[in-house]
Amino acid sequence: MLRIVLQGIGVIILILAVTIVTLKIANQGADGPSILFPGGELVSGELHTGSDPDWRFTDDVFTIELQLVNPLSSRVIFIMESDGKVYIPSGYMQSFLGRIWKEWAFQADEGDGLAVARINGTRYERQLIRIKDTDVIDGIAAKFGSKYAGGDPPEAAAAFFKKSVTDGDTWIFEMAPRDGDGT
Amino acid sequence: MKTKNYLILCAAITLALVISLLYLPGFSDTVEQLMLLFLSTFSR
Repeated sequence: MLRIVLQGIGVIILILAVTIVTLKIANQGADGPSILFPGGELVSGELHTGSDPDWRFTDDVFTIELQLVNPLSSRVIFIMESDGKVYIPSGYMQSFLGRIWKEWAFQADEGDGLAVARINGTRYERQLIRIKDTDVIDGIAAKFGSKYAGGDPPEAAAAFFKKSVTDGDTWIFEMAPRDGDGT
Repeated sequence: MKTKNYLILCAAITLALVISLLYLPGFSDTVEQLMLLFLSTFSR
């Protein structure tokens, strides 16, 4: 009986391991990420040059693809516009699984923060700057509530988001222009 | 199950899973959605 139980557990672990390894390898060099697994360099799509666009168009964009330059990997992520600037969140930053899942946020915070965002097929070269100033959180939280509340009231989602940010469970990065770019 | 049969079963599962994930349309997306649901539930 014990042998059967152990074999069953072994099969479950095998399925999980094979799934994770296969999807990770399959996405590694891809032009962009999958739903969960990081992809490679964002190659396709026009590279935006010149001054920054009116970022309010991102109100109609649910997710974007974001690639770090160092290390080179990309993922799918939410985006919020507030006061003419664009922000991205990284949640679950204080949990064990979150630290593994959101490793990119630590890399962006500790590294140079150079990134490329692909939004509606256009690539934008950006600089990720972690926001710790709570003054700008209200506008970002309101936008989060209006875009990503799911079935919850937007105000409740915004309040939850703001608390999560002030508690340090969610990090916010501004996708700022790189030095000398933008307006 | 004897060890030999168990190893054959593991090899068959691995092969079928890899082929399904790589070539079955929509299968990998469904699996990733489930993994995302798991992570967003248990990462709090």
